[in-house]
Amino acid sequence: MPKHIVSGLKYLTAVELIRKGLSQKEVAKILEMDRSTVSHYLNGRNLSWNSIEVAEIITKFCPKDFLTLTYALLNNSEKTRIIVKTCSKGNYQAKVEETCIGCGLCADTCLMNAIVLDDLKAQIDSNWCCGCLMCRDVCPTNSIKILEVEDGC
Amino acid sequence: MELKVNQDNCLGCGVCVVACPVNVSISPEVAGGHGSKTEETIMMVENGVIKLFSEDKCTKCGTCQVFCPVDAIWLE
Amino acid sequence: MVANTKEVIEEDICVSRSSADEKREWSYKDELCVGCGICADICPVDAIELEPIGGIVRTGAKKSKISIDENKCVLCGMCSVGCPADALDLKIDNKSIKEMDSYPKLIKSAEIDDETCVFCKACETACPREAITIARSLPERSKLVTGEIEIDKETCIDCGICEEMCPADAITLSHQIPTSADPSVSSDIVVDKDKCVYCLICKKSCPVDAIKAACRTCSYGEYDLNPEDAEIEGSSFIDDDLCINCGWCQEICPVDAATVKKAFKGELNIDQDKCTTCGACVDICPCDVLSFPKPADSGQIVDKVFKDEKYCIYCGACGKVCPVEAIDVKRTDVDYTPTKSNSWKNKMESLKS
Repeated sequence: MPKHIVSGLKYLTAVELIRKGLSQKEVAKILEMDRSTVSHYLNGRNLSWNSIEVAEIITKFCPKDFLTLTYALLNNSEKTRIIVKTCSKGNYQAKVEETCIGCGLCADTCLMNAIVLDDLKAQIDSNWCCGCLMCRDVCPTNSIKILEVEDGC
Repeated sequence: MELKVNQDNCLGCGVCVVACPVNVSISPEVAGGHGSKTEETIMMVENGVIKLFSEDKCTKCGTCQVFCPVDAIWLE
Repeated sequence: MVANTKEVIEEDICVSRSSADEKREWSYKDELCVGCGICADICPVDAIELEPIGGIVRTGAKKSKISIDENKCVLCGMCSVGCPADALDLKIDNKSIKEMDSYPKLIKSAEIDDETCVFCKACETACPREAITIARSLPERSKLVTGEIEIDKETCIDCGICEEMCPADAITLSHQIPTSADPSVSSDIVVDKDKCVYCLICKKSCPVDAIKAACRTCSYGEYDLNPEDAEIEGSSFIDDDLCINCGWCQEICPVDAATVKKAFKGELNIDQDKCTTCGACVDICPCDVLSFPKPADSGQIVDKVFKDEKYCIYCGACGKVCPVEAIDVKRTDVDYTPTKSNSWKNKMESLKS
């Protein structure tokens, strides 16, 4: 059931955010959930372990599949980008070459809202890049390079 | 756009053959009404009516249509 | 996935793309298109094709001069920046990129200084795009002349000769059929002094010398005239959509009131040997640069096609339409506003040939 998988994804995100030092209150705000639900999640209640297993598998998909599937399940771009960003395993470095013509196709395509146009050139926020490569694939001038980088920790 | 002819309308006057800039550059003799038959030109008068030969050479400048007195050759 | 939509209204085309963040709208106005093909040359994704402009323009075909593949178009707007005729535009969230500083823009303009302009309308007549309208109000004729006229009605025989001769229609007789009670052919004769120009034709033509008239302007100079009354007032208007900055107004203006700045500099070369005088270039040129010369004397040999580069904007439409490649248009300089984007800079520079 899609709803259960979404719960599983939210669970994984909540756990990760708590691990990073956020409070339950902050996590609840970010995920737009009741604080009590977060608390339940973290205690393993209201949630089948099977949903979490499926959600874990999804986070290990290639970034594009993880992102598009999550977006399809949630149909909410803000929550999608938080879940994908938090649960994504890789780190990416985006580079835009001088050949960029500023057509904005990448910005329109990016589900992570990581791209803005500045002086007719795309600026990609590597912090939000999930490595899905959809911007690179859509770029008419082949101006985007996405590199996977080693995580420092 | 495509070059079209209507042989029923054609008077066979040959104005298009002479006016066509491509025809003139391919074979001034034929365009001028002389020389041996060639299929290198875009159009020629044959048996009293216009006939298209190498229409792929047409640049669609519209000169033939501008000069034809009876709407027998046109771009569509 | 973001997809473009295309809308065609008669010969005009609109391509748009909407996302959550922005709406991009590309528009093409066929009426303004000169068929130069710069858009097709500058397009980074080869989405635009120039249609057979000679055939379309010369046969009046109801067909767009360019075609666009909406699946290829990325709505970057380069074509609209390169278009010398402003037939193309790209709007982002309803604002034209021509109004955005980050985009380069061809530097071109045409202006008429109304302070200098004498409103002769030469530019209006010459403008190949009918982009200029000159509105003028002329002074009253009566204020430009001064004199006296008087008709001695006792002497006047009501012949009507003065009425017929008057070039300004200033004399009117009240013609009538005579009756026994009033045995005359006219009941009155009046001179409209607002219309009279004191030319004295009535005086000279009167068979009975019934008219006394004098023109003060001729006899004693212009002492009675106020120079302000002779002033011609007016205003000029250039339709920026239609204007292509060809320079006809500047060249033909007798008082140097028109100033035109062109975006391109270049050279126009015609191979007179190759030319077959088909006239496609003459018909397509938006600036009336080209014409067929007429020899002044018998035996004089003239060029097949005459050009005057004063009026040329180096758009290259003539070169594109020529069926025998007899015309070569070179652009040596392109004047545009600065941009930080290197790819746009390179594209603008690529307009030079």
